[in-house]
Amino acid sequence: MISVRDLWKVYGPRANRIVGSPEADLPRGELQQRFGNVVAMRDVNLDVAPGEVFVVMGLSGSGKSTLIRCITRLIEPTSGQVIVEGDDVTAASAAELLQIRRHKVSMVFQHFGLLPHRTLLDNVAFGLELRGMNRTARRERAAQTLELVGLPGMGDYKPHQLSGGQQQRVGLARALATDPDIMLFDEPFSALDPLIRREMQDEIVRLRREVRKTMMFITHDLSEALRLGDRIAIMRDGRFVQVGTPTEVVLEPADEYVANFVRDVPRSHVVPVDAVMAPPADGPYAGEVLAGTKVRDAVALVAHSDLPVRVVRDGRTVGTLDRVGVLSVIAAEEL
Amino acid sequence: MAVSVETLPTLVSDEVLIARRRERRIGFVVFTGLAVLAFVVPHEVPSWMDTGIQRWAQDRYRWSILNRESALIFRWFFNPVTDALNWSVEHAESWLLALRWPGVVAVTAAVGWRTGGVRAAIIGAAAMGGVGVIADWDLAMRTLAIMLVAVLIALLLGVPLGILAAQSDRFERVLRVVLDTAQVMPVFVYFSPLQVAFALKFAPAVMATVIYALPPAVRLTNLGLRQVPVVATEVAESFGSTKLQRLFKVQLPMARRSILLGLNQVIMMAFAIVVLAALLGTGDLGQEVLKAIQKTEVGTAFAAGMGVVLLAVALDRVTTGERPAHRLRLLNWLPRVPFRVAGAIAVGGAVATVIAARVFEWQQFPSWLTIDIAPTIDGWFDWAKNNVRKGVPVIGGTQAISDFLTTWVLDPLRDFLWWLPWLVVVVGLAFVGWLSKGWRLALTVTVCMVLIGTMGSIPGGGGRVTLWDLAMDTLSQVLVAIVLSVLIALPLGILAGRSDLVERLLRPFLDIAQVLPQFVYLIPVVFLFSIGRAAGVAACVVYAVPPCIRLTALGMREVAMPPREAAISFGATGRQEMRFVQLPLARKAILLGINQTLMMVLATVIIAALVGAGSLGLVAYEATAKPNVKLGQGVAGGLSIVLLAIMLDRITQAWGTSPDTDRRT
Repeated sequence: MISVRDLWKVYGPRANRIVGSPEADLPRGELQQRFGNVVAMRDVNLDVAPGEVFVVMGLSGSGKSTLIRCITRLIEPTSGQVIVEGDDVTAASAAELLQIRRHKVSMVFQHFGLLPHRTLLDNVAFGLELRGMNRTARRERAAQTLELVGLPGMGDYKPHQLSGGQQQRVGLARALATDPDIMLFDEPFSALDPLIRREMQDEIVRLRREVRKTMMFITHDLSEALRLGDRIAIMRDGRFVQVGTPTEVVLEPADEYVANFVRDVPRSHVVPVDAVMAPPADGPYAGEVLAGTKVRDAVALVAHSDLPVRVVRDGRTVGTLDRVGVLSVIAAEEL
Repeated sequence: MAVSVETLPTLVSDEVLIARRRERRIGFVVFTGLAVLAFVVPHEVPSWMDTGIQRWAQDRYRWSILNRESALIFRWFFNPVTDALNWSVEHAESWLLALRWPGVVAVTAAVGWRTGGVRAAIIGAAAMGGVGVIADWDLAMRTLAIMLVAVLIALLLGVPLGILAAQSDRFERVLRVVLDTAQVMPVFVYFSPLQVAFALKFAPAVMATVIYALPPAVRLTNLGLRQVPVVATEVAESFGSTKLQRLFKVQLPMARRSILLGLNQVIMMAFAIVVLAALLGTGDLGQEVLKAIQKTEVGTAFAAGMGVVLLAVALDRVTTGERPAHRLRLLNWLPRVPFRVAGAIAVGGAVATVIAARVFEWQQFPSWLTIDIAPTIDGWFDWAKNNVRKGVPVIGGTQAISDFLTTWVLDPLRDFLWWLPWLVVVVGLAFVGWLSKGWRLALTVTVCMVLIGTMGSIPGGGGRVTLWDLAMDTLSQVLVAIVLSVLIALPLGILAGRSDLVERLLRPFLDIAQVLPQFVYLIPVVFLFSIGRAAGVAACVVYAVPPCIRLTALGMREVAMPPREAAISFGATGRQEMRFVQLPLARKAILLGINQTLMMVLATVIIAALVGAGSLGLVAYEATAKPNVKLGQGVAGGLSIVLLAIMLDRITQAWGTSPDTDRRT
């Protein structure tokens, strides 16, 4: 769906000569002083499968916003290749790029980016309007989309009349309205307070079930990354330091940096029962859980009975989970 | 395009600091040496420096008269433009006259209703009606017609230029230099060249107004577009908009407020100038004002001036477009009128009045409604002559102030500047420039001043006077006026920047002052100080103090709260907090305010030629009356003014920017 190959973004004069050269590995300050260049993103490679939620996580200045903007060339990459659904974005002409932006990819922005002079309906219909869809059709579609994100009948409001959470729902609706296959999220919830953020994350989980989209999601919030991501890429100084499932990232951090990052994550929140189950045995069982369930969510079931719990995948028993397994995970958290 | 790290700051190392200190020492030595040298060479501007620019300009003018019908530039450019402008003004005037006063008032009300609600409609209509009551309606309509045409042209040129400037940094830089220069140029400067180019009737006046009113249209369009948040343009781009779609669907609508503010400022600028442009022979209300001021017929000047002011107020109200927040509750319930309804009412009303006026043979403005306030004002004037100008206990009256200012401040300063060898003045000013910003500015200053020396001389004072000497006269007036203005405005501005009460008390005055056209200040000045250089200085001070107060207060208020709060939390008294935190942080803003004040002072010093302040302003302005003999002198005078303006502007602008970042360039 999205393929990124050897992608670089270097700011400053004669950026091309820095790409892949030894100078690129100079410390930030030295490179800046000597050549006037800043490497925002270096040698990024990634593949996002159809329907996957790929989260890019990193602190501010790590290059994650640059990366997501390079996908549709809102920022022009210095070198490398971006392929979206088989189209080479990096080689696309201006006209082709417009088509990709209008039909295939849409984006949700950090500070919502609603257009203050337009009603909600016209905001949501914006992408359709750019495509040249006629007024009635696009407004009808926009109204449906507003309903989908939980703001039915509010089409005539102006953005400033809405709370932050509602505004971002509109931002979401605007991105959904063009029915793209790929959605890009640039820290969409970082401006919201924690409760609303949680609510919006649930909204994404729900939408994912209802409308199957490929999503690339930028965040600096680890718990958000763990909740939403099928896979997570950790970014630092413009490069990926680790790419893996939430479990992998937490349990097998690639280096010190990632380890520090995930240190406070309770293991039971990310470890699936599969990882600590014993081989299948003959009953009796206190109950059953689906394979892939996080340990945290199996605790209650295991704790309430002396009997083990059956782990089921596709209707077949693949293992058993008892107190020892659960406690081993929880005990590890204390270390 | 979101992140711009293209320019990166570098650290200031010890070597740089040492080098800077050395440079400083070298500078002092160089300038002292130059000053000593300057004392040795001729004290007067030598006559061989005269470049003959006056004769050259006079020849151009003669040539333009002789070749107006044959030369290509006239046949294909200036003449058609002249004709188009005259045609437009004449038609605008005849439409306004066909509408008669009820029609004009109704249209004003309709526009105001649409843009600013009932309040704006009422104030706008009342002001427009008041024009007819106080001043000559026919003349006012001619002024309005000139204004409208000039404003329209300023917008048609200014908005697209602003759009281009917002797209390209390079274009913006070039444009900014042009606009800055246009704005520091006192108006009289344009007049002579415009007379050469557009000889006839209204055209030069319209063009003068356009030049003056254009900058805010460009600036505010540019500013509005540049203030559109990056994310909005990113959104537009990410959803696949073309450049034009982005401009028309996102950027322009989001810049709308700023552009409308630009329209409002364009109108205000146009008013500031339209009266002075009357010098070019428009025969409108402005000319009435000017004639009366020159003849010190205060009453007549006041009545006609009030007419222009009311016209300005009417247009200001209906174009401000901002509904005041403290509006009456009741008015909130009245619906904002849809465009179509307002338009229909306006057009319908207009047609109806035109027909009614024909049928009933209405006068332009009913004479029973007019009030002649001139005799009353003249009565006050006579009273003031005896009771304010003189006869006031202790201070003796304004005449005494005026005499004191002339004898003890203006004369000594001017005579000192005249006494100094001219090169010493050049070196001295260059030194100030060097101190302010560095060698480049010193060079700019030197070039400006030396060029003034090349402007030659004109007959006067029983012999010939060099333009250099006139420039020194002007400079002395400017210096006195700016010092007085700052002395008055700075404390008030600082006070207003710290106390809400003071600000609220001053605000109404400042607001009114902002709307009043420049020339209006000449009337009360004539009233109190008669005519002469002191009167000119007084006009400058009266004109420059309100904006200076406003800018100072703004600079004070723009200082961010956190550092101030931090100071207070460490136990600073209010005074300490002001001295150590707010004032230092507001310093640059205040200095830039002073820069703007200085430009206003200079502009007014030039205009003050109308009230007998003489000097360069007089040279520039006399040329408009007798171009066939004096145009060359006018051009030389105008150029000298420009050079003086650039010099003063660059120096004071440097104060408002940090020397650390600019030295290097």
